[in-house]
Amino acid sequence: MIKRDPEDTKLIVVPSSLAERLRAVAVRQGISLTNYATDALEQALRADGMGTSLQESVDLYRLMEIQRGAGSVNISRSSLNRLIEELYPNQGEEMRKAWRESGRWYGEYLHTKLQGEDVLGFFEKVLLVSWNLDEVEIKKEAGFTTLRYASFTMPFQTTELLISFISGAMSSLGYEELDRDYLRGMATLRFKAVE
Amino acid sequence: MARRKMLAAEEDIANGIVEMAKRRGATIYQTVNNILEQALRADGMGLVLKDIIDRRGLLERAREMGFTFTVERLLYDVSDMAYEHTKNRLSEIWQETGRWYGKFFASRDEDVLTALEEAMELLTFGASEFAIDEGRGGGISISCVGERFTPGFTDLFSLFIEGIFEALGYRTTAKEVSKGIIRLRIDKPR
Repeated sequence: MIKRDPEDTKLIVVPSSLAERLRAVAVRQGISLTNYATDALEQALRADGMGTSLQESVDLYRLMEIQRGAGSVNISRSSLNRLIEELYPNQGEEMRKAWRESGRWYGEYLHTKLQGEDVLGFFEKVLLVSWNLDEVEIKKEAGFTTLRYASFTMPFQTTELLISFISGAMSSLGYEELDRDYLRGMATLRFKAVE
Repeated sequence: MARRKMLAAEEDIANGIVEMAKRRGATIYQTVNNILEQALRADGMGLVLKDIIDRRGLLERAREMGFTFTVERLLYDVSDMAYEHTKNRLSEIWQETGRWYGKFFASRDEDVLTALEEAMELLTFGASEFAIDEGRGGGISISCVGERFTPGFTDLFSLFIEGIFEALGYRTTAKEVSKGIIRLRIDKPR
């Protein structure tokens, strides 16, 4: 609901309770309510121009901050895959252990950081964004928790390493792995919550 | 009906919101409320909306450039193990990947050094410090310091950086690499 105002501005209708909360933040930041609201609307339009929403952007930013806190860095995907390819034939088992340990640490970190939040929902998003997966789903059904993921480009070795990482993380989150089924770039793992 | 208040907004911004709401099949009232609620949510987390959207743009760039996230510790350990295993082959691969990125930056219609600094910021994700200083006469000093870098990773990363600049037409005239520290001096042949 927008009404025309005389001088190149329009009036936007908002609930007064929301306006009061906005005013409190604007006062704290030392800016006018109009400037505060205008900045929010401008940023929403920028996000829209990137094909996303403000909500999704806020969620993603938070996710990245948590990842940064957990010790994540970016790397060229091809360089990482070449490193793994180089070592995997002779040191695959050692690497799987290292990935699992890293997953366990990460699971503990999430458990501590996200107390009271939907940790599995967050983990699902992390896997999708951080591991460049095409699909991820964590579903609870018939007393079990199933995690499925798919990537069209992930090599076999990385598929196995990611499974180890997930298994480690889930164990720290209180889920025991029951079985796994995987092919290159695709895996299904089934877990049971540990009492 | 809840009590309502009016907020003033610049006409072009208001028009943009109207168009966005239409495209998303939502009412303007819902759209504006949702946006302002997210602004408050971000503020509650101590975040600034502009930073959030800037970072979103950077992440898109990282994806376009073929970057992926990995666990820092694992990356350094694996780099060291692999480097010990096949030093020459890996060195060539990392330098070659650097050349690929150099060509990638050169092919884009933007200031190469700025794009490169941005890419390095993305790569290191705050885990290390990267600086490019343009000196007089076309020479450039590059420094990268990562306190958690392992010796093997430091060597490989230095080759990656050299590869980038090689593809941009520079040659290395001085190089100092020790655990966690990379310093390069590069020049463009006249």
